[in-house]
Amino acid sequence: MTATIGLLGVLLVVASSLGLIVQGYRAMREPSRATAGHLKRPVGGIVAGSVIAMLALEIGILGDDFSIEYIANNSASTTPLIFKIASAWAALEGSIVLWGLILAVYVYTVYRQVARLGRYDHLGGGALLVLGVICLFFFGLMLTVSNPFRVCVEASTVGCSVGTNLPWAESAAALEGTGPNPLLQNHILMAVHPPMLYLGYVGMAVPFAFAMSALMLGASGTEWLKRTRGWTLVAWGFLTIGIVLGGLWSYEVLGWGGYWAWDPVENASFLPWLTATAFLHSSVVQERRGMLQAWNFVLVIATFALTILGTFLTRSGVIASVHSFTQSAIGPVLLWFLMVVLVASFGLFATRVHVVASSPRLDSLASREGAFLLNNLLLTVFASVVLVGTLYPMFVEAFSGDQVGVGRPFFDRLAIPLSFGLLLAVGIGPVTPYRSARAPVVWERIRMPVQLALGAAALAVVLSYRSPFLLLGILTSTFVVFVILRNLYHSAKKVAQKREVPLPGAVLRTMRNDPGYWGGQISHFGVALLALGIALSANMSVEAEVVLAPGESANVAGYDITYVEQFSRQEPNRFVIGAEVDVSRDGRLISRQEPRLNRYGTSTQSIATPAVDESWSGDMYLSLKSVGPQSVTLGVWWFPFIWLVWVGGLVTGLAVLWSRLVRKPSREPAHAARATSDDT
Amino acid sequence: MTPDVRKVIRWIVTTVLAGIVVAGFVMGDTRPEDRVASLGASIKCPVCQGEAIVDSPSPTAKAMMDVVEEKVAAGETDQQIIAYFQSRFGEGILLDPPFGGRTLLVWILPVLAAGGGVWMILSRRRVPDATQTGSP
Repeated sequence: MTATIGLLGVLLVVASSLGLIVQGYRAMREPSRATAGHLKRPVGGIVAGSVIAMLALEIGILGDDFSIEYIANNSASTTPLIFKIASAWAALEGSIVLWGLILAVYVYTVYRQVARLGRYDHLGGGALLVLGVICLFFFGLMLTVSNPFRVCVEASTVGCSVGTNLPWAESAAALEGTGPNPLLQNHILMAVHPPMLYLGYVGMAVPFAFAMSALMLGASGTEWLKRTRGWTLVAWGFLTIGIVLGGLWSYEVLGWGGYWAWDPVENASFLPWLTATAFLHSSVVQERRGMLQAWNFVLVIATFALTILGTFLTRSGVIASVHSFTQSAIGPVLLWFLMVVLVASFGLFATRVHVVASSPRLDSLASREGAFLLNNLLLTVFASVVLVGTLYPMFVEAFSGDQVGVGRPFFDRLAIPLSFGLLLAVGIGPVTPYRSARAPVVWERIRMPVQLALGAAALAVVLSYRSPFLLLGILTSTFVVFVILRNLYHSAKKVAQKREVPLPGAVLRTMRNDPGYWGGQISHFGVALLALGIALSANMSVEAEVVLAPGESANVAGYDITYVEQFSRQEPNRFVIGAEVDVSRDGRLISRQEPRLNRYGTSTQSIATPAVDESWSGDMYLSLKSVGPQSVTLGVWWFPFIWLVWVGGLVTGLAVLWSRLVRKPSREPAHAARATSDDT
Repeated sequence: MTPDVRKVIRWIVTTVLAGIVVAGFVMGDTRPEDRVASLGASIKCPVCQGEAIVDSPSPTAKAMMDVVEEKVAAGETDQQIIAYFQSRFGEGILLDPPFGGRTLLVWILPVLAAGGGVWMILSRRRVPDATQTGSP
């Protein structure tokens, strides 16, 4: 029953997507009030159908309906509530449903804008046409190779062994489900990280759709950029937060003492982030100076294609990781879709680029435009490093059957210098004037930050921390922080003098006067904190492996780690064995920690859950490696100031809120912030 | 204090700070180089899912780390140790792809991308005065 309703929802979306393609095409050719009205029904159908599908899946999961194959194999009656809800996107088929729901929400927001603009909106109609095609593809997946509502026809004692796509088949239900993958029911972030990432991934479809529409219409200019800036920013913010939360999850759950391993799956989320970040910056150049028009199309197509590639990498089983659970038929289909997207969009681009792009040339490399170009160059090269490093082993294996390894040392070696270059650009770029910058002007703006950054690095040397990467990290990241603070102080001082208001009020006023610019600066501030956190926690960390008998202590980084006793307990969904460990300093107890090994349901694999004693000066990170009758083996890490990584990352993403929500305190009505319809 | 004096003091302070930082770079890291860990990070655990042996809790990875430790203690060079594991497990074991052979392209493609990008930027620049460039 639930399965049938869910499938009907999917069918409704498929039919409505076809309708949206037809009506979007008509609205693109001859927009009128009537065509805008005709868009309403298909958009409504897409939203309603995708909500029905998601609700049906969740209701099935919450009601332990094990006659649905997906639920029998990814949930269990003993799974705690929050992980039951999250198991709707814990595996392939369900995650496509979430993907579809988010896409539907974005389609609705685009429709709202199109309906408001009404009869002159060629561009919006075309964008909805493209979104209709994307909807058709993803909901088509749910009817065929990735059906979350497959009926179970042969139940095992636990879980389902055979399912069918036919909803009217005689169903069989197991008494109990297998539960989610153990790694995915270990931490609350599992409920948050995937939706954030998907909100980011899927949101990139909107600028892509508008870009395609502009190409189909041969519409030059910046309208498509201006109209989609909001979506691009919001999607980018979600993607940023999703990636940061993914790193935090890896740190809190996997217990290997790190947060980023250049795993192909991490790279899959990082790739569109890199190109989207480049796009955010290069679109500013086009809006302000009319340059880089063709390049912006390339970036937006690349970003969308990389989100599809990322879905393929994580969900097809080509790589072995926690994200790709099973070999599935969806892989080749996604690969074909990726090919079609690439050929169609770059084909369209190649035939129309001369119509839409006629860029003025760069006056001087030493200018804000030059800094933006440097930023784009570095981000694009960064993306090429990650792309090549991720795909190359797969290509070699696919064509020769041999394995080659490309891992952390390769990525680190190239990513670290690129990151230092990016940080320098982040510092200097925003205080460099447009068109042509004279060196004395720029030097005046960065002189004091350079001096302060030297002071910070000198302090590290005096404290006898002399790793070159640490010093470079401190120099570049504190430089960025001080440039931003100096810039804010000077701008605010001018406002304070002009309006005769106190400085704190003037700071706020300055930042509200140009939310776009200052949103960007907040984001840069976050990037600098993140970089500082990486530099400090990586280069000043202390690592040890200790074997302790009960009552025994070891000293790591000035802390005493004492093994008190072993414990074990049976919980509804797992068996837990762990160690009580006291963390103390100078004889004073700081906290008692419980690093654990968990065994879930029928699984024989033990999942380590690290315990982390967090403080402002750093994290004492304890991971249980093995438990014996006489002793335990503990991995102990000291990560100084690692909270800067999480805080910096979240600030980077949340800065979007400043750009989007803060309105200019102006005397004239805020028409400038609206999407413009003055293109005709 | 006159502005000139302030300026001189500022430059002296800046020079001293810069001197300290440069000295820090020249003296190099205070932490002893952990060869076992860095070798462990560049060798893939053959039974795991893409993890380096230094990160993996599996018994195989542990045993391999022990071998690395013994060989480092015995005074073998990084190249010798890497070559030993490569001869036993094949090229797929290396997480740090060698510059040459089958993995040469991994290094060259990003460099080509960077070169292409620089060329695109330079070729689209408005050249201030064409007569001043040209002589090699």
